[in-house]
Amino acid sequence: MAKGRELKGRIKTVENTRKITRTMEMVATSKMKRAQDRVVAARPFANSLTEVIANLYTPELAERFPLLRQPATVNKAAVIVLTSNRGLAGAFNANLLKEARALLARLKGQNVEAELHVIGKKGLGYFRYVGRAVASSRVDIGDRPTAANAAEIVDELITRFASSEIDAVYVVYAKFQSALSTPPSTQMILPVTPPERSGPQPDYILLPSAEEILTQLLPSYVRNSVYRALVETAAGEQGARRTAMKNATDNAGEMLNVLRRTFNRARQAQITQEIAEIVGGAAALQG
Amino acid sequence: MLKVSVISPEAILFEGEADSVVAPAYDGELGILTGHAPLMALLGNGELRLGAGASGRRFTVSGGFLQVFNNDVRVVTEKATIAT
Repeated sequence: MAKGRELKGRIKTVENTRKITRTMEMVATSKMKRAQDRVVAARPFANSLTEVIANLYTPELAERFPLLRQPATVNKAAVIVLTSNRGLAGAFNANLLKEARALLARLKGQNVEAELHVIGKKGLGYFRYVGRAVASSRVDIGDRPTAANAAEIVDELITRFASSEIDAVYVVYAKFQSALSTPPSTQMILPVTPPERSGPQPDYILLPSAEEILTQLLPSYVRNSVYRALVETAAGEQGARRTAMKNATDNAGEMLNVLRRTFNRARQAQITQEIAEIVGGAAALQG
Repeated sequence: MLKVSVISPEAILFEGEADSVVAPAYDGELGILTGHAPLMALLGNGELRLGAGASGRRFTVSGGFLQVFNNDVRVVTEKATIAT
């Protein structure tokens, strides 16, 4: 019954694997729930900020703000690529890196020098592997990114953009549309694309002035864009991991069914064979 | 009564009613009572105090802005912590 024992071993292995993937699925589900809450909690701030900037923005003011300047020619751009620190999330990181590669190729096609800022071990590992220079990297941002993390990432770039050292800043992140759909996306965070004004505005008293307020709020708006990208990517990672682990668990279940069936068939065949041998033996003795 | 919300990038820290709001504006403290004209003001660093109705809650804020419209006060700030 050598085959039977081998099958038994495989059944055990698949069962153990399924146990692990099922646990990871459950962990990812609960982590995703919390990450999703953070995505939702980040909305009021972003909406208020967008609304105010839309209110204050006028094309005449735009020319005076370094963060709103639209460079005629883009010579140098910074690309921030957000990835996760851990794998086992299906094609999540692969998709993000594909998006990043496409963006880098596009920039190269336009003769734009691109510098890379990579967040997450997976992205860093990839770019190291392909041997591309990375200007800066962070691997210490976990499941719970904070607004301070976003500021650390982008503040330097804001200053450099303001001093015309770089002409554009892009973020590649996973947009969190729903738990099942987290498509990789690219967003240009600098220069700031002023949000659309919606409806007529009340006549606000401005303290001290529209210009001063915009000066303060534009960097805040940029930081917030990065923060949102961070929380959405964190939520997307958990969503992708949940889906991947659910598929793995399902596949393990299917595999188990097949293995058990084969095992039982082998067991039955052996019993049948043994009976046939006994009957044959008895018949030989009688004859 | 004023409807007050204190919003940070990570969450809404407070949402409720208060009869007055004292905020640290960029050039000094700024008090808001019911019926205030629409206002948008930059905030500096300091303590944000909500009056009765919100049982005198306090927050430490730094930067951001305050918006008043129709007895609706919104304090939007990048750094805010609940002061004890």
